[in-house]
Amino acid sequence: MSNEVKLLRFLAQDMTQAELGKRVGLTRQTIAAIEQGRYSPSLDVAFRIAHVFGKGIDDVFHWQPGGDDRSAD
Amino acid sequence: MSSLEKRALLALWSMCPVYCVYFVIQIGLPYLQPTMLERIGCLAVVASIHAMAYVVGLLVIKRHEAGEPLLEDERDRAIDGRATRTAYFVMLTGLIVVGMVMPFNNNGWKLVNSALLFIVLAETVRYALILIGYRSPRLAH
Repeated sequence: MSNEVKLLRFLAQDMTQAELGKRVGLTRQTIAAIEQGRYSPSLDVAFRIAHVFGKGIDDVFHWQPGGDDRSAD
Repeated sequence: MSSLEKRALLALWSMCPVYCVYFVIQIGLPYLQPTMLERIGCLAVVASIHAMAYVVGLLVIKRHEAGEPLLEDERDRAIDGRATRTAYFVMLTGLIVVGMVMPFNNNGWKLVNSALLFIVLAETVRYALILIGYRSPRLAH
């Protein structure tokens, strides 16, 4: 799963990772992990991130079939 | 570095060296013929050093985290949950070995030290998996 979080932060007056994290209830480290593609957030958090930027969820997150996502469970 | 990652690293650093020394001493102790009081004293010293190192480290971490708005989120809980599930099976194995198998052939301090060894092993596995979880390439919620 890829995402546009870093680009959208830049377009939102260079919003910091800490600021975005505070608004969606995540730590700065998790926002960094999402941007680097090391962590796929829950649906709830994905919606909240999209809401902060005033976008739809599929404008922020992109899923490609056959990706190497694996569940934590 | 996230809060949970710092605590896991602290727990490993405060626990592993002192208990390694303790178990090495325990291997050598039978040759020294220690009394019960000396054995209890040895365990008390090791547990105290572990506790002191952990508490001091925790205070330092808490001081550095004083201004942080959020210390834990869903990613931390997912990593912690996965590590704890694996460590649970180590603990379960220890319980079977120490509580159901060893009592037929062993007693006293051998049981105590084996139980302690499995507790330390389970904790080590948990904290090591937490550290690995933060460095794994991908983790989906």
